[in-house]
Amino acid sequence: MKLRILIADDHEVVRRGLCTLLQTREGWEVCGEAKDGREAVEKAKQVRPDVVILDVGMPNLNGLAATRQLIQQNPQQKVIVLTITDSDQVIREALDAGARGFVLKSDAARDLISAVEALQHNRMFFTPRVNDMVLAGFLDRGHNGSNADSPKLPTLTPREREVIQLLAEGKSSKEVASLLNLSTKTAETHRSNIMRKLDIHSIRDLVVYAVKNDIIQVQVSSPATQPTAGSAA
Amino acid sequence: MPVRILVVDDHPIVRHGLRTLLGGRPEWEIIDEAEDGIEAVEKADRLKPDVVVLDVSMPRMDGLEACRRIRKNVPKSEVLIVTQHDSPQMMREALGAGARGYIVKSDAARDLLAALEAVSQHKPFIAQSRGQVGDSE
Repeated sequence: MKLRILIADDHEVVRRGLCTLLQTREGWEVCGEAKDGREAVEKAKQVRPDVVILDVGMPNLNGLAATRQLIQQNPQQKVIVLTITDSDQVIREALDAGARGFVLKSDAARDLISAVEALQHNRMFFTPRVNDMVLAGFLDRGHNGSNADSPKLPTLTPREREVIQLLAEGKSSKEVASLLNLSTKTAETHRSNIMRKLDIHSIRDLVVYAVKNDIIQVQVSSPATQPTAGSAA
Repeated sequence: MPVRILVVDDHPIVRHGLRTLLGGRPEWEIIDEAEDGIEAVEKADRLKPDVVVLDVSMPRMDGLEACRRIRKNVPKSEVLIVTQHDSPQMMREALGAGARGYIVKSDAARDLLAALEAVSQHKPFIAQSRGQVGDSE
């Protein structure tokens, strides 16, 4: 039986690269592609992949929120997160969401095959930095008897995280409602709950919060001043 | 004579993708790859490709500086910028640096073949959504 893999990235050029790479392995097939997190969750329902590979920075529903939904949908779902950064925040969120593999996009050509193999054999795969962080967290718990690395978004529900991403991407409450199949009133309630919980009072502050917490990613407008930043494939 | 192409991006997975997208055309030949601007300039000097497909945000030397140097050292090599920066300012900078074409990575699958075809014939190519922003010539 073939190992069936679903890939999700908003850039087709990256999806082509992932397909080319994964299909070099006999016995593996890319059974579906998605261009954002929402489509990935929907497709996973239909094609029931063995492994899902998700980019973190995707529109509409980012890879971390999509991971949560995939695991909620199927607790055994094996998910590998692809990211341009292994910042503490992204690592925490990915682990918390239930990802079992974590691969830097810059290293994907080298690490992705090993990551899929690891998950295929019910193991996990992390970058060295994630390994260090997991170990540090484990040791810390050993000393303190509690997890000192509490997530930075403790008060937001998964639904509120979806809503905050869409609002930060510039969508109105009406558009949010339509995308999430909610009434406009419910979307507005989510919006006011989010702002109350985070103690923010404008959409501008909400966008800043979303960027700081890797809920959305922004491109650097001028590489002339920051030549190496934000190199999202 | 095939069109000889040098592919430059710091992410190997993107280079794989560009190879796959360009690979369907027998008249195009990917002669080499580079992973940053410095390597791109060196390889362009040595291999004199017809087209350099060039990312902007790369370590060591960014694509704009690499573009300037390639155009200066090897004027026959055309440069097609493929970037995630969907901004008019960046496009102007790229064209000012001597690029003949500019496309955005999110639209690369749609625009890459047409852009490469144009640029390989020394014609400008600006992705449609950017067309109103400026001319390359």
